[in-house]
This record gives sequence, structure tokens and C-alpha cells, in this order.
Amino acid sequence: MRSFLVSLMAVITLFGATPAIAMEKAELVKILTEIDDRQRNGGDYKALLYLEQKEKDKADVVREMVVYRRDADDKLMLLFAKPKSEEGKGILRLDKNLWTYDPGTGKWDRTTERERVGGTNTRRSDFDESRLTEEFDPSFVGEEKLGKFETIVIDLKVKPNIDVAYPVLKLWVDKASHNILKRQEFALSGKLARTSYYPKWQKLFSETKKAELWFPGEIRIFDEIEKSNSTLVLFKTVDLHELDQNMFTKAWLESKSR
Amino acid sequence: MSRLTMLLQIAWRNLLASPVNLIIGGLILAGTFLFVVVGGLLDSLNDSMARSVIGSVAGHIQIYSSKSKDELSLFGGMGGDPDLSAVTEFPRIKEALEQVENVKEVVPMGSSGALITAGNIVDVTLERLRNLFKARDGQLDDPRLKGLSREELDTRIASTRRHVRQMIKVLEADQKKALAILKNQAIDPDVVASLAKVSQDAFWDDFDKDAMGSLEFLENKIAPQVTDAQMMFLRYLGTDLDRFQTSFDRMQIIDGTPVPKGQRGFLLAKLFYEDQMKLKNARRLDKLRDAKANGRLIAKDDELKRFVKENRSQTRDIVLQMDDLKTAEATKKLQTFLASTEPDLTTLLSTFFDTTDENLEARHQYFYKELAPMVELYKVRVGDTLTIKAFTRGGAIQAVNVRVYGTFSFTGLEKSPLAGGTSLMDLMSFRDLYGYLTADKAEELKQLQRDTGAKTVSRESAEDALFGEGNTIVAEATAGIIDEENSFTGVGRRLREDDLVKRVYTDSEINGGVILNAAVMVKDPTKLTETIAEINRVSQEKNLSIKAVSWQQASGILGQIITFFRGVLFLAVLFIFGIAMVIINNAMMMATMQRTQTIGTMRAIGAQRSLILTMVLTESVVLGVLFGGVGILLGSGVMAWLHERGIPAPNDVAYFFFSGPKLLPQLSSGNLVIALIIILLVTLISTLFPALIATRVSPLRAMQSDE
Repeated sequence: MRSFLVSLMAVITLFGATPAIAMEKAELVKILTEIDDRQRNGGDYKALLYLEQKEKDKADVVREMVVYRRDADDKLMLLFAKPKSEEGKGILRLDKNLWTYDPGTGKWDRTTERERVGGTNTRRSDFDESRLTEEFDPSFVGEEKLGKFETIVIDLKVKPNIDVAYPVLKLWVDKASHNILKRQEFALSGKLARTSYYPKWQKLFSETKKAELWFPGEIRIFDEIEKSNSTLVLFKTVDLHELDQNMFTKAWLESKSR
Repeated sequence: MSRLTMLLQIAWRNLLASPVNLIIGGLILAGTFLFVVVGGLLDSLNDSMARSVIGSVAGHIQIYSSKSKDELSLFGGMGGDPDLSAVTEFPRIKEALEQVENVKEVVPMGSSGALITAGNIVDVTLERLRNLFKARDGQLDDPRLKGLSREELDTRIASTRRHVRQMIKVLEADQKKALAILKNQAIDPDVVASLAKVSQDAFWDDFDKDAMGSLEFLENKIAPQVTDAQMMFLRYLGTDLDRFQTSFDRMQIIDGTPVPKGQRGFLLAKLFYEDQMKLKNARRLDKLRDAKANGRLIAKDDELKRFVKENRSQTRDIVLQMDDLKTAEATKKLQTFLASTEPDLTTLLSTFFDTTDENLEARHQYFYKELAPMVELYKVRVGDTLTIKAFTRGGAIQAVNVRVYGTFSFTGLEKSPLAGGTSLMDLMSFRDLYGYLTADKAEELKQLQRDTGAKTVSRESAEDALFGEGNTIVAEATAGIIDEENSFTGVGRRLREDDLVKRVYTDSEINGGVILNAAVMVKDPTKLTETIAEINRVSQEKNLSIKAVSWQQASGILGQIITFFRGVLFLAVLFIFGIAMVIINNAMMMATMQRTQTIGTMRAIGAQRSLILTMVLTESVVLGVLFGGVGILLGSGVMAWLHERGIPAPNDVAYFFFSGPKLLPQLSSGNLVIALIIILLVTLISTLFPALIATRVSPLRAMQSDE
């Protein structure tokens, strides 16, 4: 019996010391699909967010913003609520069009995926539903320990003809819970632009989805170009009640400033 | 006296006796001539540029915060705009500076730049249609539609709808061509289907049932198919517009009116307006005509040929601006003018813009008489509202609406891109774009931070702090209810409608907020250095935290250009006279050797060494004064001729340095005096050694050499 236990220990040690076995693309896609599905609601979604941008020698940029999503139609709207100077400003995604609205000028302008949101180092995609499988091709990098957590490291490259803020990503996915813990985003040249951490994942039962909806409780983004800049995104409240039918229109967003 | 006459006589005789003296004289003449002419030109350039810089933006002296990271550079530096700290106590500074004796006026300023996206022509037309519908439904967003009756609005809606349908026809034709070339491979089926849908009468018959919905379909499905949106970089100077116009008296309004006293408003630099905001085809026609007036020929000039080629191929801006009626009218007019039966407007326009040296004048005239009235010649017209979006100091994007009251230029600098590239804006709008955090706003943000109580995590400790021992990743959340309705009070819209447009600001409001720099106009410009020192002294004494610099220093690299050229001239003159000194020295040595017998004989009949020394030096001085004098005279003659004739600016950039279309060089008396001193020094120094050698010639040696 004793020799059996020793042998077993030896086997476990041996396996533990063996480098991670490369994961097939299909397995990676499965993990990404799980990540996407968890964060997709199917019905309507509303979240109250706190954004804080810290930059060297500058005053902090602080915003409160409401995110509206209708995942079934791929619609998204970001509407700033605080401070007063930002109130009523918004971003609206309709099909492949990304619009910004400023009640101070009454103008709608087209914007791009790369545009910063509200003067912080966030992009539209940070607040939208997760579309990793739809937008990227994964490849296995290895396994790594992040703090006390075992993670799978995955490289992602954008698929052809898809417009995203960053074409190359590197994800550290928690092996146990399959949540993204760390995300690095690169320009096409390979230059690292942002490192983001997702330390809190929260789940909520969704009536429309009839399953749990996952969302990151907080995102901490570190700017890799301007090293002293960092951004904090806090999800204060998530509300899954049905939204107005006409909500994702220019007219609705404008009406918030009347 | 008789000794001097004798020495001068000897010098004169020897001057003409040796051909070596002619070589030495030639060198002196060339050096002096160069110094007088080039030095004079540089002085004139310096004066002209001073007039340009002082008269267009800088004033005599500029002040800015002494806490600034960078030095002030009014025309931008290598790395873009300098990082200047805001000056928050301008009224106190102004009061203190006005006590300085030589200060006449202090004009507050701040400059920055913004990218303006004009939107593609379909977006712009759909926005116009949207505003018309809104105005009809009582939600006025475009002040230009104020006061129009429902009938007038309906007429305009019908006309704009026709315009959009005409655009769709153009897009359909484009798509047909693309489909034929690409064989259906690269065109998104959704794009094809969307265009097919809006080409049907049914879409337009039902348009009004849900006008906003129909517009959104066009905005999201059709407008992205046109990719002609233009981005323009707009540089602006925020200032007290009244004070600016009285202090910078070269400024003149070209179109429109000045901004009414105390109101928000914008004045576009005329050159920028023409270059960036005018219909490209029209602008190129203007440039072709200007070039022809200056003697350039399309047939022989590659740049002009390129203009013609671009005019022929880039006619979409015109075609997309016309509705069906205007398209028919323009087609008919061009068919008649060109004696053609071609039915396609694009082809007709391409033929029309095939301008040659012979037909240019006629086509230019025809374009402005017949075609221009059918299109918008400028993206922004006087009276329009311009939306300017800029990055605030904090990095966020801030936008303001400003009414364009007119265009302006500086007399003599109409063609200078440096003076004509910066537009003028009221200080209140500038401050909105600058995004300075007032105490109230800062407190609002602090309160929001306190309410949230988020903890800070540093980059270095992030992984340990977030994923180390004691951290859990997954948590259950409770569903919440977000009631944001009360958060939206409509403050932005109210500001746009009530506050910004109508408000007249008092002097203390205009001067009371932050600025980045200020121009100081002085009573006596010759006392510039003393006044700068005095301002800096007052700043220290009263703790104003400002720094005063001359217009030249404030101009950054531009201000250093003349100093650079002056340095080059100095080196060139130094080089020429350095060589001259060596040559003169050698030549004089040779001359002295040749004259050993004469000098020996002179010494034998009683001439003292001092006489020999004075004799040789006098010869040099006479040589220098004579040839140097001729150089000065020649240089002065050339300068007088240049002053009479003027040097025309070779290109638009030179307008700024010439302070107008011509540089009128002035002879500087200072340069003449310096030239004379240099000649005397050079000749004396280079002759000193040969002269000393001459004094050592003994009568004995002179007699021996004879044997």
C-alpha cells in the first residue's frame, strides 16, 4: 500500500512538472464561447458604471455612465449621467455605425472603435457584450500562475474585415472558473497598448436568459503607452428589466437632454 | 601734417605700383560688399518678420505662466503645442502690468487646435433633413430655421428629400460600376439590399409615417457607403476679440462682420477658409487663374497639370450636392456651353474642368456665374454655426458650437499660411474647450469619488493586490434597479439654446477666467528689453507667477531663423576676412621684401623705425579704406536698387518673412560703420607683422643686397 502511494505521488509530481499540454483550437473556442455566452443576456441589460481616469500631473477624470444593451439585436448605448458637464452625452452603436452625441452642440458624429470613451482609456468594446469567438481566432500560449490563480494564456488575432479597437489580444483565463483575469491588447505592430485586470466577476440570474448572466464587477486598465495613466471601471448596479422599445435610437438619446 | 601728407603720397604711389595690392583690395571689396548687402538684407528681413509676428499674433511682448513646463512657442514647436500652465489671475496681472510705464495694452489669449470632421455629404444632407423635420415638429435644433412657417419647412423638406434621392441615384450608378468590376465578390449583400430598398418609391411614399426611423435607416445603411468625409485641422486663438482687433491694427474683416462686443463667436482666417473650406474644384480653378496671372502655364507646369487632372476626376462633391432639378439644369447648361449631347453630368463636368491656358479664363468665369450658384461653395458659411471638438487639458473631448461671424486677414499677409492659418475665437468658448477645472467642478468630481470610495491599486502591486492570497474572483450579485430618469436635467441643451447663443459677457467675465498667455503692446518698441525686465521684476515683486518674453523668443523656432542666418553671415564674413588676412599678410611680406632696398635707403638717409612702421600701416589703411569704401558704395548702391525695385516673395511662406508680397530692403547705417571697423581691423592686423619686419631692415643690408 505504502509503495503504491509513493508511486502515485511520483506520478502526480511527474505530471505536475510536465509542461502544459497544448490545447487544441477547438478547446480554446469552447472556452471563449463559454466566456461570451456567460456575459450575453439575450434580453435587455442596463448597468450603472463609475469611471475614473488617473493621469500624471492632471486632475482625475471622473464619470458616471449608464450602459444599455439589447443583446438580441446587438444594440448598445452609453449615456453619461455625471458630472453635470457630461450629462446627456452619449454613444450609440447601430449596426456597424458608432455615433456620439453631445447635447451641448446638438450634433451627432460618427466615431470609431479606437476612440476613447469619456476621456478615459476605455473603448466601446469594454462595455459591450463579449464577442470573442465572433471577432477573433485563438491560439494556445501556455499556462501561467497569476497571483494564486492558475490560468490558461491564449493569444487572439482579429478575423478579417472586422473592426475592433485592438487587433491582437492576450488573455489570462482562470482555469477553474473560466473567467478572464487579465487581458493585454496590442496594436497590429505588436506594440502593447493596454493591460487590464478583471479581479471580480459577478453573476446574476436573468429571467430572459433563464440562466446566469456574468459581468465584471471591476476593470482596472493600465496604459502601456503612457505608463503613469490608469483607469478604473466599477459596475455599481446591473438592472435586467426590459428597456423602452425605442431606446436604441437617436431620437431617444436626444430626448434625455430635453 | 606734412609728414602725414608725405606718408599718404607714398602710400598712394605704392598702392598703384604693385598688382598684389589689387588682389588684396579685391578681397576687401568683396568682403565689405557681402557684409553690407547680406547684413542689410537680414536686418530688413528681421524688421519685416518682426512686423509680421508683432502685428499678427504676438504683440511686442508675451507673458505666460512661469510654472509652465515648456517655453511659449506661438507658432508651435517640434512636438506640437507647448505645455503651458493656465494663468488664473489675469485681472490682477493686467492691473499690475498696466502700471508699467511703457505698457500700452494687455490682450489675453490662448491657442489650441481641433480636428473638425465635416461628415460625408450624405450625413450632412440627412442631418439637414432631420433638423427640418424636428423644426416642423416644434423641436428646433438649427437656429437658421427659426421663424420659418410650416409651409416653408415642408417645401424645404421636399427639396432636401429630392436631393437625397438624387444622391441615391448617384450611389446606385457607382454600385453598378463596382458590381461590374468586382463581379459581386467584394460587396456586402446587406449594402446592396439597403440601396435597393431606398431606391424604391415605396420607401419614400412611407417616409413621413416614421420620418425619424426612415432617417436612421438612411444614416446607418446608406451614408456609410460614401466615404468622402473630410477632416480639417483648425488652429484657433481664443482672445478678447474687441481688444485684439484694436491692438492688432493690421487685422481686417474680409467677409461678414466682427463678433458683436461681449458675445461668443468665431472669425475664420480667410486663407484657411479658402484653402480648407471651399469646394476643392473651385479652389483649384482659383489657383490655376492666379498661377496664370503670375506667368505660369498649364502646358508647362506639372503642378498646374495636376490641378487640372484632380479637377477632372474629383467631381463628386459637385454632383452629390445637386438634387434632380439642379442636376437637370446643370446638365443642360453644360451641354450648351460645351456643345455636347452627353447626358451624364459627371462626364460633362470632367470635360468642363479640362482647362487649358486658352480656355481657363472663360471657364473660370462660367463656373462662378452659372454653376457655383447651384452648389455650396463653402462647407461653412458666414452666419453658420461651427461645431469645434477638441481635447481638453484632461484628455476628454469637449465640443462647442460657435457662430461664424466672418473671415479676416492681416494686411500684407493675406497669402501667408503662417499668419492666415490661425482663426479667432472668443475667450469663453476657448475656455470651454480648454476644460479648465473650476473649483465647483473639481468639488463635484471629488464628491463623486468620495461617494464611490474606490481603492487605488498601483501598477506594480496590481497582480498581488488583486489576485494574491485572500482574493476570490466569483461573487453572487443582487439584481438592482437603476432609476436614471432624474439624472438627466437637460443642462447641456439649455446651455446651447439659452446661455451660449444669446449671452453678452461683461469685460470682467471675459477677463476673469483662465488664459494661457497674453500679448503686451508697448508705447515705445525701442525700450523692449527694459520693459521685459520691468515686467519680470513686477511679477516677482507682486508674486504674479508670470514670465515675460520678447516677440522673437515667443515665436519659437521661427523667431530664431533670423538669428541663425545672422550667425551664418557672421561665419561667412569671418571666413572671408580670415582668408583675406592670411593673403594680405603674405602679400605684404612679399611687398616688404621687394622693398628692402628702398626701406634700407630710407633708413640710411635718416628715417626712423617709427616712420617705416607708420608708412607701411598707412599704406594698408589707405588700401583698406579705398577698396572697402568702394565695397560699401557698391553694396549701398545694390541695396538702394533693391529698395527701389523690391524683392518679390518667391512663395506664400515667404510672405510672412517679407511682411507682404515684396521685401523692401533698407540700408542700415550700423552695418556700414561695422563694415568700416572690420576693414580697418583686418588690414591693420594683417599688416602689423610685415610692418615690424620692415622696421628691422638695416641700411647695411640694403646696400649688400644691391651688390
